Amino acid sequence: MSTLQYNRLCFHLKLAILWMLFSGAVFCIHVFASTTEVETNSDAGKFIMKSYFENYESLHDSSFEDFMAHQLSSSLCQGIPDNWNVGVRLSVRELSLVGEGSHRHLSSSIRLQIAAASIPKLPAHLCEVIVIQRLPLGVFADPFELQNPHKHKAFRDIAVFGDTNLELPSFQSNRSAVEFHIDAGFNILFMQNNGTEFNLLLPLDARYQPLDESGYSVVEIGEPDMLMRCSVEGKQHKQSCLFMSPPNEKAKSTSATVAWKIPAGMKAHAGFLSVITFVTALLSTLSIVYASMFLSGTKVSKT
Amino acid sequence: MISLKPRSILLISAIFRVGLILFGEWQDTHVEVRYTDVDYLVFSDAASLMASGQSPYKRTTYRYSPLLAFLLIPNSFTSRCWGKFLFSASDLFVGLFIRIILKQRKVPDDLCTYSMLIWLFNPFTFTIGTRGNCEPIVCAMILWIIICLNNGNVVQAAFWYGLIVHFRIYPIIYALPIIIFLDPCFFRSGTKPLLSDWTSDQGKARQINSELTDKCVVCDALKSTFTRSRILFGLISGTVFLLCTGFFFRLYGWEFLHEALLYHLTRTDPRHNFSIYFYHIYLNYERELSVLEKLISFLPQFIVQLVLILCFAKDLVFCFFVQTVAFVAFNKVITAQYFVWFFCLLPLILPWSNMKLKWKGLCCILLWMGAQTHWLLWGYLLEFKGKNVFLQLWMASLLFLAANTFILIVLIRHHNYGPVFRQHTDLKTTKTT
Repeated sequence: MSTLQYNRLCFHLKLAILWMLFSGAVFCIHVFASTTEVETNSDAGKFIMKSYFENYESLHDSSFEDFMAHQLSSSLCQGIPDNWNVGVRLSVRELSLVGEGSHRHLSSSIRLQIAAASIPKLPAHLCEVIVIQRLPLGVFADPFELQNPHKHKAFRDIAVFGDTNLELPSFQSNRSAVEFHIDAGFNILFMQNNGTEFNLLLPLDARYQPLDESGYSVVEIGEPDMLMRCSVEGKQHKQSCLFMSPPNEKAKSTSATVAWKIPAGMKAHAGFLSVITFVTALLSTLSIVYASMFLSGTKVSKT
Repeated sequence: MISLKPRSILLISAIFRVGLILFGEWQDTHVEVRYTDVDYLVFSDAASLMASGQSPYKRTTYRYSPLLAFLLIPNSFTSRCWGKFLFSASDLFVGLFIRIILKQRKVPDDLCTYSMLIWLFNPFTFTIGTRGNCEPIVCAMILWIIICLNNGNVVQAAFWYGLIVHFRIYPIIYALPIIIFLDPCFFRSGTKPLLSDWTSDQGKARQINSELTDKCVVCDALKSTFTRSRILFGLISGTVFLLCTGFFFRLYGWEFLHEALLYHLTRTDPRHNFSIYFYHIYLNYERELSVLEKLISFLPQFIVQLVLILCFAKDLVFCFFVQTVAFVAFNKVITAQYFVWFFCLLPLILPWSNMKLKWKGLCCILLWMGAQTHWLLWGYLLEFKGKNVFLQLWMASLLFLAANTFILIVLIRHHNYGPVFRQHTDLKTTKTT
């Protein structure tokens, strides 16, 4: 390359750097002058799990059931002028794990049933089904995989709450939950006598498990929790309220835990493995040192 | 003999990369398996946060300098492919810089062309940038530092070196060889150092070069260790590093320091990767490793780096190459993107190697790919079939280290070692063996 071309290249590079530095300076002025924080989530009350984590530090079944029983009860559709027994029934028809290995899908088939007489009274276009899938310690849902538009365009909203650190093994992580919001309007309007069904396919990934002598660890995933939320006319203004299946109805739903067998390290390997690892590293080191000092083309001499 | 002009090679490479980026966008939208690297989504999200005045570290797993997020801010308001185009452009710069460095040493055109092709049409390297991985930027900066040093431009080299160490910690391993490289015998005030040219004998037989005279032994004495060039390089690169780090610490606090710097210094990952240490780390993750254990795992890396530097620092590019191969091979965590760190240096050392592609070169390539494929097979069974093959996977890691060690030794044996610079007055004779 000629000197002229080389100098031209250097000049263009310097111009690019100057432009970047100028942009950086403008940006920094903006950052230092900025006094307001931008809300990451403008719909503060939208997600039920967000409310849960505002009251509790981590996800435990007992805390969550307490939350659902007491704190959500005030949000149930009661005490509104046209109080009706809409007979909402949400149940899991089928729960299964699809796929192999560390990356699988949790397939849930959810049935929504509403008493026929109540359907015309519901503001169908303002109703959504909320499904909360609590995950055990050994698995997680990748928030960024859930953003894949190809897979999840049917959902109004999806979010993951709890421990979203993807890298930690299960014995150093906390539980998480995935909350789906599904638009129910169309399904309610055209509901058949036996109700309507939603199919969810949740991609899950296995964490590294605690060591186990058998070489595997079994993780169990239970049924999701389900509600329906509608925006209804209250005494003074529009408000959202929740419809939940009666507690005794839940017991009638099909059984539902799925078991996931995940490979785990074996403590029996620990002893000899560490020794062989370090011996191998040492042998490689000695080989490279020998080759560098005695087999390379370097030579130092005095004339 | 290849008769393609460098401009044509770069043009074809650019068109190819644009095509890959567009294909990647189509694949991401229509196919379940994404083309785009998950890290690119991390960078883009961090850039969006930065564009809205927030810390990029609000994005979990963003563990890079804020500079990277800053470079990708246009992702938010122009096209989400902006970053990929930037990385692919850096990729092309690497090809260009390879040619510049080789022409500085008067390497013939055909060898320069082959070297460019090895980088620009290596399937591993052209997918890296088009998938949205930022390593091509690092490679381009390192090659630019080499160009500056070859031209005797210590100030500029120091500036870029300070910046690259801030951007990506691993180039810190090049600090000592650069200091040794700034030999007062060659770097004299007001005089541009003289490069030793490639000769046609390089590819035929090993030559023993770099005979040092008594004069240079005196030059290397303690009193000349702290020369103007070395002090200048250390001060400027250190200042740039501290300024960048201090500035971003002021903006983003301890979160920046922990995520962008400290995390990489202390990183251990129990999840399976190419490193021989992964299963040992997993089996012992529930307890704190003892000081002795940490020292034992650090010593091989330290010893190898030190010996390679002391043996090869004068042949700077070769030193960088062998150091990087060893650094990656002995690291506690090895992912495929680390291989790019030495891939960009490989084309620069090949003109000085007397190893022929047929059959030794081919054997080395097949050995390296075979060891990697063998590991990937067990990794597939573990990750995608759910089989407990941790032990087999660990053994595959040992084999991979053995393959890397063997290939490194072969390259050392076949390299025609010679200092990059020659003295202004004394031209040393060479002896062929």
